[in-house]
Amino acid sequence: MKFYPYKRLNRPVGLRVTSVSLRLPDRTRDHLDTSAFSTPQRTVALGVAQHEDWLSARIGLSATLPPGATDPDAPWSDLRVLAVLTDGDTNVRTTVELRQDAPESKEWSGAIEVRRDDHVGRADLAVHAVATVDGVRGRAITETDTDWTIDTTAEEPLGGLRLDVKQTSFTKSAREWLRPYADAPWVVDASGRLPVVMVNTDVEGFSDLLGGETGGMENRVHELLLSQMATDVWTAVFHSAVGDLEVEPDGSPVFPSDWRGEVLREMLPDVVPGLRAEDALRQVHRRRTGDAGWAELQTRVHFAAVRRAGARQSLANVLRALQQTNREDRS
Amino acid sequence: MIEQPHHLPPRLGLLSATAADPFLTEDLLRGIQGHGGVDLAKVVEPLPEEDPRWRAEPLRELIDDVLHQFKENRTEADAWLAPRLHAALRLTRREAADRRIWNHLALGVAPDYVAWRHASAPSSGSADSRVAAARFKGSPDRQCFSRLWWAAELFRNGRDYAPVVVACSNQDLIHTVMRSDLVDHRPTAQALVRVLQSGIATTGREINGLMAAINTAGATLVYDAMAADEWRDPEDLRRWIEEAETAPPVPRHELPTGPEEEPVPEKSVETLTKYFADLFETAPVRGRAPQG
Repeated sequence: MKFYPYKRLNRPVGLRVTSVSLRLPDRTRDHLDTSAFSTPQRTVALGVAQHEDWLSARIGLSATLPPGATDPDAPWSDLRVLAVLTDGDTNVRTTVELRQDAPESKEWSGAIEVRRDDHVGRADLAVHAVATVDGVRGRAITETDTDWTIDTTAEEPLGGLRLDVKQTSFTKSAREWLRPYADAPWVVDASGRLPVVMVNTDVEGFSDLLGGETGGMENRVHELLLSQMATDVWTAVFHSAVGDLEVEPDGSPVFPSDWRGEVLREMLPDVVPGLRAEDALRQVHRRRTGDAGWAELQTRVHFAAVRRAGARQSLANVLRALQQTNREDRS
Repeated sequence: MIEQPHHLPPRLGLLSATAADPFLTEDLLRGIQGHGGVDLAKVVEPLPEEDPRWRAEPLRELIDDVLHQFKENRTEADAWLAPRLHAALRLTRREAADRRIWNHLALGVAPDYVAWRHASAPSSGSADSRVAAARFKGSPDRQCFSRLWWAAELFRNGRDYAPVVVACSNQDLIHTVMRSDLVDHRPTAQALVRVLQSGIATTGREINGLMAAINTAGATLVYDAMAADEWRDPEDLRRWIEEAETAPPVPRHELPTGPEEEPVPEKSVETLTKYFADLFETAPVRGRAPQG
């Protein structure tokens, strides 16, 4: 719990995206329809119209302040509402001030511009209500409790871990580093900006199976393999994330600002249940770098990965499909 | 010390950390034996042929000059190289966030520079001197070249690189500040440079104290509300990048000129500079008597 030495509002700001348009190199604008954003997922997908070379996107915003913000006897003055877009991959911070829809209204609106060249993947959008409190300017009196995600490449507004799947022949690929792995059906590379699964097309029929939508048993096996790969990815990215932590001068680890941070925040509740994210991270870091407890943690890391990969469900589906074919064979 | 690779790549490419790993041998990191370059070239993914920005030669010449000029004082090389690297390798932030470019520059084009700049102090016995692998392929604030490029990007004021020189002249500042996201706010970055220039905070301890104070205050304050920034038009940067094709080599004696972007509003920088200086007055700094 953060302590504030002044009066604040104890409820968060509500934030909605109301419109999205892209500015194209020929200076025209493409107004995207509502499929570009999802309120339940709190995500905007700017790749939805598949323009390769847009310059910037304008995202229309509407923020609702909690009750009490605009009371005439509120303990603050100069109330302002700012939308702030941040991106840990590119160190970008873009701020825009929203306007009050009507005097004393709780509704504030405006639009923020997202420059294409300033982002690789995802950026976070938050809204802060700021005021002069006890004579101090610029104090935060409340903010959104969950950020919106602005995904500059996604074609669908979905949250969750993104990964890249590439199919290639490990023995003939131009990526020569894959050759030593010729015996593996797939390998995971968690060292890059996004985790990548390299699928080995030297395994005959493998890419047909993964690409096919043939239905029936093939589909179930396909699902099972995908969930296997996803388990591997989640495990690899967890280790890559905790293996590369920045440490504050006082020894406490810092959440990475890129997708590694997202992965850790998502998996830690399963790896170290019942602790706040920061405390959980500290404990994991201590176990990894200290002398005890790292091996014991592996079961929990595996559990967190398996859960996210939906392994249980895909296994159940295969088993059910198997039973069905067996029954059909017998009859 | 290792030499530059015998086979220098003509163009920059993308070298993933996983592909780079086998080349970061113990001998390379200890500065005993470099690599020939031929095998490394096989694992590099090419960048588009037609783009003149990926020519490696201008970058290698820059490296040769900095090696020559700062032979005796390698830490001072940062302030010289950061703005020049930024102006010679014109990237969008989106491109610069791809670590594979930096991996290739470090391992393929200038491993000798990385070893020279970041070998642990020779005082501990030259046989034991070693370069951290993160200087070749680490996080953006650790990797030899990306930390300089990003320092230049975050501290330049529009086209003006002078603040970059101030920021990079102080190892404590770039070391401490680049890890925090405070300087993502351009007025904050410029105000930090002003505070440094004014001589209010200069030593490592003082800078750590100042950063801690700014962070603590920043937990309840929104600096954007105190000091607004200007909108930067993305076309200004694109134009500058396109001009890379016809741009002469970056000047060695003068500072280069950056993209013609809107500078940070002067009023915002002044407001924050004054605010930070006041904060520092009352900040607890190790080794400094509490101020009354």
